Formats: sequence, C-alpha cells, structure tokens
Amino acid sequence: MNVNRLIVFNRTFRIGERLLGCHIRHAGKEELRLQQRRTIKTHSRHLAYAKDLFLGQVNKTEVFPYPEIGNEELEEMKQLVAPVEKFFSEEVDSAKIDQEAKIPPETLNGLKDLGLFGIMIPEEYGGLGLSNTIYARLNEIIALDGSIAVTLAAHQAIGLKGILIAGSEAQKQKYLPKLASGEHIAAFCLTEPGSGSDAASIQTRATLSEDGKHYLITGSKFWISNGGMADIMTVFARTEVEVDGVKKDKISAFIVERAFGGITSGKPEDKLGIRGSNTCELSFDNVPVPVENVIGEVGGGFKIAMNILNSGRFSMGSSCAGMIKKLIELTSEYAVTRKQFNKSLSEFGMIQDKFATMALNAFVMESMAYLTAGMMDRPGLPDCSVEAAMVKVFSSEGGWICVSEALQVLGGLGYTKNYPFERYVRDCRILPIFEGTNEILRMYIALTGMQYAGKVLTGRIKEMKKGNIGLALGMASKKLKTSLGASVDLGLTGKDGVVHPSLETIVDEQLILKRVADVLINMYAMTAVLSRASRSISIGLRNHDHEVLLANTFCNDAFFKNNYWMVQLQKHSPENDDANIKKIAKQVLENRAYICSHPLERTY
Amino acid sequence: GHSHHQTAHPGPPPSHRHFHSSPACTKSQPARFVNNEEDKTRQKSLVTHDDLFEQVAKEAKTKATFNKVIDFYTKGDIRRRGHVEFIYAALKKMPEFGVEKDLAVYNKLLDVFPKEVFVPRNFIQRMFNHYPRQQECGVQLLEQLENFGIMPNIETKVLLVRIFGEKSHPMRKYQRIMYWFPKFKHINPFPLPTQLPEDPVDLARFSLTRIANDLDAKVTVYQLPCTDITESGAEVTLPHIVGIQSPSQMEQLARHNPQRPVFVEGPFPLWLRKTCVHYYVLRADPTPPEEKVEEPSDPERCLSYPLQLDLDLDLDLGDDESFDVEDLDEGPVFAMCMTSQGDQATLNQWISGLQQSNPILGQIPTLFRLDTGPRELRDVADAESPNPGEEDEATVEEEPRRSQGMK
Repeated sequence: MNVNRLIVFNRTFRIGERLLGCHIRHAGKEELRLQQRRTIKTHSRHLAYAKDLFLGQVNKTEVFPYPEIGNEELEEMKQLVAPVEKFFSEEVDSAKIDQEAKIPPETLNGLKDLGLFGIMIPEEYGGLGLSNTIYARLNEIIALDGSIAVTLAAHQAIGLKGILIAGSEAQKQKYLPKLASGEHIAAFCLTEPGSGSDAASIQTRATLSEDGKHYLITGSKFWISNGGMADIMTVFARTEVEVDGVKKDKISAFIVERAFGGITSGKPEDKLGIRGSNTCELSFDNVPVPVENVIGEVGGGFKIAMNILNSGRFSMGSSCAGMIKKLIELTSEYAVTRKQFNKSLSEFGMIQDKFATMALNAFVMESMAYLTAGMMDRPGLPDCSVEAAMVKVFSSEGGWICVSEALQVLGGLGYTKNYPFERYVRDCRILPIFEGTNEILRMYIALTGMQYAGKVLTGRIKEMKKGNIGLALGMASKKLKTSLGASVDLGLTGKDGVVHPSLETIVDEQLILKRVADVLINMYAMTAVLSRASRSISIGLRNHDHEVLLANTFCNDAFFKNNYWMVQLQKHSPENDDANIKKIAKQVLENRAYICSHPLERTY
Repeated sequence: GHSHHQTAHPGPPPSHRHFHSSPACTKSQPARFVNNEEDKTRQKSLVTHDDLFEQVAKEAKTKATFNKVIDFYTKGDIRRRGHVEFIYAALKKMPEFGVEKDLAVYNKLLDVFPKEVFVPRNFIQRMFNHYPRQQECGVQLLEQLENFGIMPNIETKVLLVRIFGEKSHPMRKYQRIMYWFPKFKHINPFPLPTQLPEDPVDLARFSLTRIANDLDAKVTVYQLPCTDITESGAEVTLPHIVGIQSPSQMEQLARHNPQRPVFVEGPFPLWLRKTCVHYYVLRADPTPPEEKVEEPSDPERCLSYPLQLDLDLDLDLGDDESFDVEDLDEGPVFAMCMTSQGDQATLNQWISGLQQSNPILGQIPTLFRLDTGPRELRDVADAESPNPGEEDEATVEEEPRRSQGMK
C-alpha cells in the first residue's frame, strides 16, 4: 500500500523527486542511473530497503519474493559444497588448531586446493568467480572452525577486496591470480594502537619520495589478522593532498608487498578464541610503495575502506547459522540420551526453551543473510550496507547467546575441554567485536537511516513551503490514511512527518540511537523471516509448516520487543530510564569506582 | 529380411487405402526403417496406430523403440493426420514400454501436435473452445502426466504455449499442475524412496525402522537367510529373522510382571507402495488398574526443588485430570520382528535371541497367537505353550527349545 502511495507521489511531482534524487543517493553513478530509471518507468525500483523503513515505507518488491537461484546454479553449488563439507568433517582437527594456536600447513594446502582462497575472485584471474549467495553458503561450512573462517575472511572478504572492487586492471592482473590460488595471503591493515573504531584517526603516514615514484609508509598497525604470514597487504595511511589549494591530510589505500622490505611483524597475539588465526602487530619503516600501487585515487581511501568493510559483513549471518545448526545436532544428541530425575533432559521445559532459541536464531540469521546476499546479487549494484550491518549485529549477538545456551545444556561437560562447546564459546566472543563493533554499527544503522529519511522529509517540507499543491494534497491524504489505519507509523517522525529540529544533536544521543537501531534490526529480521516463510509455503519445501511456526514465534516476540522499545523512546515516558542511566554512569566514572557505601556500614 | 518384400511401387495401390493417409502417392519414399514396418503396414487395409506400437512391441519395449515410433509418425507425413488418435494410442501404450514416468517422452509426444494452428486468434475463438478435440487430447496427456506424479518442466510450458496459446485448457491445466505439485512434493512426512531395497534383510530393516520411528531403536539381525543341506541330503532353507527394540522398550520389559504372559502376535501387513511385508509383535496386555503399583513419591528424590507440592487442596469434580477419554492404554509393545517364515519355530528363535538382551523373558510365559495368514501353508494352531520357567543358558548354536504343550 505504501508503494502505491509512492506511485501517486511519483506521478504528481516527478520534478520534485528528481531534485531530491540529488540529495539522497551517495554514489553519483547510482544517482544518474536512478534518474534515468525514473524517467523511463512510471514507478522506479527502490534499491534501498532498510533505509526506506525509516520513512515508514516497506518496499515489498525488493524483498518479496525471497531471492532464489536457478536450478543449474543450485546444482553447481551442491557440487561445490560436498567436498568442502567432507574436508571439514574429516581433515580439520579444530581442537588441535586451538591448542597449538596454529593452522597446520596441510590444512591450509587443502583449503587452497578446494579453491577457498579465491571464492569471489572472477574466473579470469584464477578464482572461483562465485556470487555473494554461494559465498555465504560456503561460509556456513567454513564456520565450523572459527580460526580457519577468520583466516579466510581476513584474506578475501577484506584483505583483497580493495583490489577487487577499486583496483585498476593492471593491479588486478598483477596480484589477483596469486591471491586466488592462495600462494600469497592478503591482510587488511587499518587498525592502529590508537585507532580501533575511530579509523579516521590513523597516524601511519605515506610521504611521496623525491623522485615522485614511491610513497614511503611509516607507522605501525595492530591486531592484523594474517599479519604474520601475509604477503600482500592493503595498508591505509595518511597522505598530503591538495584540495582547493589547501593542503589536507587524507587517507589513501595502498597495496603493499612484504617483498618491498621494511615490514616487520611482531609475535602472534595470545587470544581467548580463534587461536589458530594469526594476529600480530605490523611495523612499517619507510616501506617504499610504487605509485601504481595506490588503490583508487590518492585521498580516496576512506570511501574504499567503507566499501570494503560494508561488503563483507553479511556472511556473518550464514556463518553463525551454520555453526548453530551444528551445535543443535551435537546438543540434542546429548539432551535426548542424558537422564535426570528419571526423565531425559529433552522433556524439561527449560531445556526445550534453549533448543527453540537456537532453532529460531539459526532460522532468522539464515533468512537475513541470504536475503541480503540475494539483494546484493541483483543487477544495479544496490547499496546494502545498512542491511549487512543489521545482519552482522543480529548474528553476532544471537550467536553468542546460542553458543552459551548450548554449553549450558551440557552443563559441566560443556565446560571441559573434552567437548568442543567451550571452544565455540571462546571463538564466538570475538564476533560482536571485530568487523565493526556492534555499538558502532548500531550508530551507523540509526544515523544512516535518519539522514536518509530526514533529507527526504525535509525536502518534502521545503516543497510544501514553496507551495506545491500536489505535495500538500499528498501529505493530507497520507494523514487521512494514517488516521484510517492504513499505514504503519514508525513513530520516528514527529508532527507533520518532520524529523524534529531538536534532533540535530542526535549523534550524541547514543541510548536513543541504540533503541532505534534495535527496532530496525528486528524489523529487517521480521521481513526476512516472513519473506522466506512465504516462499516456502508457496513452493512447498519440506517442513514448511515448521518454518511458518518459527516465523510466527519470532515475529510475535520481536513485535512486542519493538513496541516496548518504541515506548521507551518517548522522552518523558516512565519506561525511559536514559536519564537515570546517564546519571549512574557519570557518578561511577567520576569516581572511577563503585560508590555505594558497604551494606554493613553503620552510622550510629 | 528385407528381401522378399519388393517395394517397387512408390505408394500404396488405391484399393489399399490407409485410413489416415492421403490417397495421393507420396513423391518420395517415407523415411526408411531398418525393420520392414512400413512394408507391413502397406499390406493391411485398415491400420490403426495401435498396430504400429504392437509391431515394435514384438521386438523390444524400450524408450528407444517408443521414440522411434513417434519419429516414424512425425516424419512420415507433414500433415500429421490423425495425430489425436495417435497420441491417445501412444498414451495407452506407454506403460507397456515402461516410459510412463519419463518426462522427455511426454514432451516428445506433445511435440506431435502441429504448432500454432490451434492457437486462437481472437476473443471469439478463445471463448468457444477452439479445436475442442485437440484441447481435450492435450488435457488428457497432461492428465496422464499428473496421474503418474511427474512434474512438467519449462519445455512442456513452451510447447503448450506454441501449440495451444496462453488461454487454453491445456495451459490452464499446466498452471494448475504447477501450482499444486510443488506443494505436494514434500507433503509426505514419511516419504518412501523410489527404489525399495531388494535384499529381504535390508527390506526388513527398512520397514522395521519405518514402523518404530524411533532414532534410539536398535535393529538386530538374528539370522541371515541361508540354505543348509542336512545329513539326509534334504535342503533346508533358513529364513531371515530381523528384530527391533528400543532402550525404553527394554526397560519396560524389565519392569514387566513375570506372572503375566507376553504374546507374540502376527502377522500384520505393512504396505510399501506395491510390496506387502509382514511383521510380528511381542506385546503384553495393559496392567489392570488394581495391579498398577504407584511408587510412593520420595520427597528426597530431588535435592533442589520439591517434585510435588503438598498443598492439601480439595479437588472438585472438574479438576480430576487423570482421566481422559482419548487416553487409551493398549498395553506395551516390547519388540517387533520380521521374518519370511512366520511359524512358531522361527519366532521361538527370535524370542531366544531377544532373551540375550532381555533375560526376564526366560521367566515370562510366552504365548504365540499367530494368525494363519496368507503366507502360512501349514496348520499352525494357536499353540499355548507356557514356559516351565527354566532359564535358558543354551549356547547360540543350540536353539533352546521350549517344551511344547499341546500341538
């Protein structure tokens, strides 16, 4: 129904929309294409889904039907999946990798033979040239061992992604073949001791040499996955760029080979989990990097970094789902056989609750991951960064909870090293931290959405103020429909649909943004789940009634949580304890300790 | 033997007119066949399409020969006269040739229809069931496809569109098939594989796991089928005995009161598509309510929380939840078995085998209540053979024989 409303909008004031088009879209190329699309069709395809949720608009055409792959592609995928599964079940000894904090070279060679080092590299450069969807499917199996998953992800999802998406033809020809075969391993070097989440504050410098042919990179990078064994690194450093006659420091991306010399790697970090993955410090001491090795243009590193990080996130959904599915198998075997109080564990309600949680989480994560992958695989290069961030946040937190519950079912046995559960718990703890901490991603989701929605709405207000009758009528009809109960009001917009001007300092209101992001994440999850369940019923997949059950249960739960958070968002509602939380935190942090008097203290 | 059929004349003589081909002579010889089919057809005066198939059927009934007949028909005459009758005949002959479940053959048969002739060109034609016989024939073809449970593919759709157009009865039927069939594909919660195991032991194992439907149940093969030659030279075939029992059944049997007998009942039929196998059941009658022993609830059973709340409540008539009309106690089933020869001796063997893992069977009287089912050739009267109660410590080779009372 909202789509229809937008068709009405489109037809009445096309000009206004086209003006707005300039404001809304980030990438210029996309904007042009969209403008061209708008002139041809009467109703343009909205390539954004999550961002339009902020406007209270559900783009059903984007998410229904659930993205499918053709029969041939499915067969091909099954052919690929079988040997990988066999490899991981027979030849990967996860316990040994965890204990020795090292992946044995035979295992790495096996992975190289399977082609898992170049899944998304096009075939002309020697990779497998597969789509996002199949990459996500393979990740389901690779995630059975956390260290291997992180090594591979650091190599291809971020390490060589820069060359893949922004590199020149020459750079691709030079580096991608060896990277695809696994002969060279890639790493992504952005984080420094002083800048983790704050990536723009990096201190590593790249200065142009006198002859103008090399950049000399000096600095140190920290917590670099694959740092000890990487041959090709994507390094981000500050360069001096002239913008309108003013010298500024902007970040650029460089392809640095270890062979250039001057690179030293520290000793591998001793970590809680993913111990098999090599994480170490890298120091660059005047490393000469040829000018041809700059990715994109000098000073354009920030955008490249954003694109790289945003494109690899969605696969965490399928990785976590694959891991949870494995855990369900292991745990249920135990729960059915173990007996206490003359009943098997599976007859107790609290244990059943844990299994239901695991099944629900796996279902939602899978649905979200493959929906996002399917949307990304569509022609037109849609910008699914917000959706990918939502998948990452939900999956990392859901994965952590499920793994913890699985260990709980096994009780004491789960706590010992004889069973893999404690290793899964340790490996999962990193998920909410790396690839963008969940806190940062929540801010990203909330603020990107609000910026998009705000621009659209303020644009409309400006139009209305200019006296555009059509727009005014449109707003009036929208008001009428809302009062008749036809549309969904997210409550993010205030009176007249304007984002309230007092929200200019919204960036500082993290507690509000957290709730907004949580609501939106739940909504996207509900969409994914409903889309998938609808498709399952329509085509009659096996056990689709179970899927419907999972979908209904999750949506029920998410709906009530959303409502509660929305109520909490109101500034003066009794459910909103933001002011109290801030006060507590302030007092604790001022004193840098817990400040209450001890309960046993006396005054008289 | 092509020799003794001199086909000098270019076409059939006017007196031997085929029912379905033009009286005009064909300029060129129709497609040469390796066997002398076409010559045979010329000998007869009235040839139906059935005969075409029957002639080919004499040699080999395979997909290749079936396809050959279709090719012979389609390439014979561009006009495709009598294609409706041909298709009906072919549909009837499909099961004989064994191609009734092959979608490629159906598509090839659908290809026999001339294209684009039957597509309605305006709304009047669309309204008035354009070319009704052909549409009915198309529908019948799809009907047979549907009856054999084959899912049509994109080629079928393309063919139907080219032959009948978008708004035709066969197209509508195709759409209905494509709506329902995917929904029905996985509708069976206990699907049977298309090929059942051939080996009787494997078949027995498969059927027993299907009946038990319990992942914990264990299948034991007590005896493999073999043919022995006794000293007197007579051949004795030993039947296979495959049994199944789950750990919970074992526990229940261990708790069974040795005073009450257990019964071996059977044979009960189990139908797996077109195969019928028989199984036997070891069961007991439900314990009568006066004998039900309720263990007094031990308050110290659970250290953490009370297993029963002692609240001294007075229960009303409506609060009695211990009785439910639908809650029928049919008595426990302790084990099941399958064997090709369901006589008392074989089943005795089974019980002895069971006794290895359930020693209490040595003390419980076992009664054999066997039906003289369709497989029983000799009279096995309901022999009541109460066990004197001795423990069977015989080794495996010597089957411990229970003393037979009346026979």
